[in-house]
Amino acid sequence: MIRLAWWLVRAQFTTRRMATALSMLAIALGVALGYAIHLINAAALADFSQAMKSVQGEPDAVIAPRDSAGQVPLALINEIARDADVAIIAPVIETRVRIDNATMAVKLIGLDVFSAAAVTPKLLPRQSDRVAGGSVFEDGVYASPTLLARFKLAPGDAVTLVRGDTHWRTRIAGDLPAARPDDLLLVADIAWVQARFGPAGGVSEGRVRLASGVRVGNWLGAWAGRLPAGLALRAAEDDSARVSNVSRAYRVNLNVLALVALLTGAFLVFATQLTAVAQRSTQFALLGVLGLSPRLRLWQVLLEGLAIGVPGAGLGLVLGYVMSLAFTQVIGGDLGGGYFSGSAPAILPRPAPALGFFALGCAASLTGALYPAWLNRIQPLAQALKTGFAQSPPSGGAAPRRRRWLKGAAMALVALAAIGLTRLPALFDLPLAGYAAIALVLVLGIGAAPPVTQIVFGALARLRLPAPLRIAVQNIVQAPLMAQVAASGLIVSFALTVSMVTMVSSFRTAVDQWLDVVLPAPMYVRSKGVPLPRELLGALAQPAAPFEKVERSAAVSLSLDPQRPAVALLVRELDRAEAAARLPFTGAVLAAPADRLVVWISEPMQQLYRLAPGQSLRLPLLGREVEAFIGGTWRDYARQFGAVVIGAADYVALGGRFEPTDLALWPRPGEEAAARTWLAKFTADYGLEMAESGEIRKLSLSIFDKSFAVTYALEAAAMLIGLFGLAVTLAAGVWLRARELATLSALGFDRAMLTRAVMFEGAMIAGIGLVIGLACGVAVGAILTHVVNPQAFHWRMKLEIPWLQVLPGAALSLLAGIFASRFAARQATRLPVAQVLANAQ
Amino acid sequence: MRRRSFLLSALLLGALRGAAAGDGGVRYASVERRTRLAFPRDHGAHPAFRTEWWYVTGALDLPRPDMGFQLTFFRTRPGRAEDLDSPIAARQILFAHAAITRPGAGLLHAERAARANLGAGFSTADCDVHIGAWQIRRHDEGQGGESIRISMQDASFAFDLVLKPAQPLMLQGDQGYSRKGPRPELASHYVSWPQLQVEGAVALDGKREKAAGRAWFDHEWSSEVLGPDSVGWDWVGINLDDGGALMAFRIRDARGASVYAHAALRDRGGRTRQFDAGEVQFTPIRTWTSPRNGAHYPVELEIRFGPHTVQTSPVLDDQELSTHRPALINYWEGLVKVSGTLSGRGYLELTGYAGALKL
Repeated sequence: MIRLAWWLVRAQFTTRRMATALSMLAIALGVALGYAIHLINAAALADFSQAMKSVQGEPDAVIAPRDSAGQVPLALINEIARDADVAIIAPVIETRVRIDNATMAVKLIGLDVFSAAAVTPKLLPRQSDRVAGGSVFEDGVYASPTLLARFKLAPGDAVTLVRGDTHWRTRIAGDLPAARPDDLLLVADIAWVQARFGPAGGVSEGRVRLASGVRVGNWLGAWAGRLPAGLALRAAEDDSARVSNVSRAYRVNLNVLALVALLTGAFLVFATQLTAVAQRSTQFALLGVLGLSPRLRLWQVLLEGLAIGVPGAGLGLVLGYVMSLAFTQVIGGDLGGGYFSGSAPAILPRPAPALGFFALGCAASLTGALYPAWLNRIQPLAQALKTGFAQSPPSGGAAPRRRRWLKGAAMALVALAAIGLTRLPALFDLPLAGYAAIALVLVLGIGAAPPVTQIVFGALARLRLPAPLRIAVQNIVQAPLMAQVAASGLIVSFALTVSMVTMVSSFRTAVDQWLDVVLPAPMYVRSKGVPLPRELLGALAQPAAPFEKVERSAAVSLSLDPQRPAVALLVRELDRAEAAARLPFTGAVLAAPADRLVVWISEPMQQLYRLAPGQSLRLPLLGREVEAFIGGTWRDYARQFGAVVIGAADYVALGGRFEPTDLALWPRPGEEAAARTWLAKFTADYGLEMAESGEIRKLSLSIFDKSFAVTYALEAAAMLIGLFGLAVTLAAGVWLRARELATLSALGFDRAMLTRAVMFEGAMIAGIGLVIGLACGVAVGAILTHVVNPQAFHWRMKLEIPWLQVLPGAALSLLAGIFASRFAARQATRLPVAQVLANAQ
Repeated sequence: MRRRSFLLSALLLGALRGAAAGDGGVRYASVERRTRLAFPRDHGAHPAFRTEWWYVTGALDLPRPDMGFQLTFFRTRPGRAEDLDSPIAARQILFAHAAITRPGAGLLHAERAARANLGAGFSTADCDVHIGAWQIRRHDEGQGGESIRISMQDASFAFDLVLKPAQPLMLQGDQGYSRKGPRPELASHYVSWPQLQVEGAVALDGKREKAAGRAWFDHEWSSEVLGPDSVGWDWVGINLDDGGALMAFRIRDARGASVYAHAALRDRGGRTRQFDAGEVQFTPIRTWTSPRNGAHYPVELEIRFGPHTVQTSPVLDDQELSTHRPALINYWEGLVKVSGTLSGRGYLELTGYAGALKL
């Protein structure tokens, strides 16, 4: 039995080499994409959290201000230290400084060697032998090896660290031997950093290691009530959750796309196996008569499916690994998403996920083989022996009209369900219902193929057509299963392509328009998180400065929820009256009661924290909770985790220090060149960055395009698989009709006529598939744009269907479909007529 | 004179190198014979001096007999960052050591280090020093009564003990002015408090048990105690069974000869006799060899002073301690029984045997 099974598998592989190889390839592609995304992301996350751990160590809990401009008072650090449940608390001051006048700001960590030895050992400094007589408690900084190399510094060198207007003239006293290759860090004694850059009387955060046996949760609970409002104590585990949350939605989106690739692979197996079953129906019937039970006939087809799935999935793993290596080298570890910066992370495959993806590939292949296997099982032997394959199971008792009704009702229900799903909110912060709705739309599209085919071709059949065409039409009308198989592949792949193109184009158009609003000034200067020098700000205030308008802004980050990335607080020079004109609001701008603080929240913020204009929002500001009125929601495609705009005057009135880091500049008309020269002096002296709005816009859009690079690759893969499917199924269909074609040849049809008939058939099927695919694609695109995007990334946009891309794409696919059917036709017309007819009976 | 002064200098060698050279012009307070100590003020810290320690050692009879314990705080002023305008400048640094000797079961040891104002602190008005939750603190109990509370916690052991004095303070040397070498400037202020009654709890491997026994408290501060020829010292502080107290030490050179020695004996009646260098002799009887570093420690010593001859015998041979902060230093410090013309229990310290302590 086993030998027979293997013999059949081998025969199947050798006779249908092309189709089998394509199916394998499709499975491999699906597995490879999914696996590669998994590998890259796992590596990037591991890399990111390791980088975080090397800097933050591995504490049990962290106490930090909820406002990045805030501080943890020393008294509180000392109070926590005296808690018997605390093994050690490591206080840290973190700030950003420039080295001399470099453009790039680097992180300066002030640490206490005594506690750092226990909590952040990777940051411990090493005194250089070349620096005589020093110690870690004295004036000096320690640099990571990468920083030394990047800035061409060596121990003993004098450096000036600059933050805003504060200068620290010091020297490189040594290095950080345990720093990671990516770390661009300076470390110094915490007291020196405090004395030079502040905060006076406090530190940036305290990292707590608890005594053995103390539960983090209990301890946090005991302290939670005792903290001042502006401080938050969080379990260090929250940090990993936050890191993973950073890219989760993007990652899941990519994985869903990979799943789609896998499903198309399954579909291709389905097409291949279905045609294989059809082609061998006589063989199977003969084996059945000889004693091969229906159950074994079922198993045989499943086995063949598995025989495609196993090597396909194996190949996919290898391919995925290679792809992940290539991608990390070319695009970086964030798959173009822009979430993690730095060098390419190391790819480390582990057995469990690899096995998982392998199983997924096999499962897809088996799923594809399921229906053909079942058909093979129920083939009526006698009829199969005589007339070949029966395309549908022997029908039950229900009248055709009633069945049509039932079908219609089912499809209506599916459509309703899809619409219902799009109304559901996100689950676990993921647009799961949206994905389900997309799946239903595709099911609907495939389900719609037979009735549409029958209606269209039924109508065509009534027309007077030339014989070859009529034959083609009749053929489709009477054998809808094959046509449906061929069409559904195209429906799915074209729908996905159209939907992605639609979503990306809607998004790009929206970003483009948004950039117009958020980049109103011709010139921008920024200092990357370090306050701008007062000298520049002072000079700008002079009448001699060649600008008619200058707007200054600063940003701090606020932690509203320890499990989510921080929200940006943008301090901008605008007052409540003019806010409406200055921010890209999505809806009405409410006038706040005059006695209340007003802020304007970004769209992601509105959705993440379930807020609405008119409500009040409690912000952890300047060491306390400040209640603010939400004046409106503005569109923001830059900060996925939320942003709040507050007027600079209000911020200062609350007691905040407005230290601008960014400038928007409007040069006086005609003085643009002078303005550039005027600024150049400052940018060179202070290492500032100057850009014109056009450059920023170009850069933003190029980042946008890069982040969708993977999406384009997946679209191309989906289209290719769809076209493969069409070619394979058409070829199989032709093969099934070998007798009919041979008869036609014998009756005097020449090759060209036959070829034309088959090509016409292919064109018609492809046309129907593309039209339905287009309809589905627009629907799916709408779901992606209006449901998935807002739920996964918290931004909204208008639907823009890029007809200029979609229609040529459809035409190209149609041409490719016709080309594929030509290939099928060539095969059919090559069959020796006499032999076919002789075989027939 | 706890060799801690030696030890401390060595401990900080890596991080605090150069402080002795006096760069930055740090001027430490110096120990003067005429200084009269006042309490509780002088139980507190003396941050103007270079080093200072509060030292509690003792023997417990509960939960098990002859169980040794110690908790020690060292303060050092490295002379660095003296002028830095920051409350957390590393001007004063604290180290703490804790140990428990379990006869037949080995020694448990833990240590902590921190700078003052950043997880650690001390009072200059009374004995109150802490690193995190580890502390030594004196309390007034009303009606002239007083006590010292010491507590520490680590993963493998913890204790929380109250020490009640049964006798007055024992001011070492001349009213607390204690010479440490042949030159008069090599000296410390040194206060002992023998025969403290111990009550409280000890936790071993998470199991908390009632503890009781006797302890010895030392408090010593100085700026310069060791001459250049010294490599280490031997020291004992013994609570005698009859209620008396014995303190004896010698400082050795590289050949093992005594550079300086001193002993003080207070009898049960409170009369104290001082024995000068010429009257004090230390003779090794038996050495124990550390399996970790091969150092030979004379754990059984014969000490002669005046008319007395006593021998030490450790309750556990391996009471060697290693500290890693910041450099590795090995020394022996543990509970011994004393017999001979006097009998009692107390702590013996042996330093400079696992390589000379460099200053």
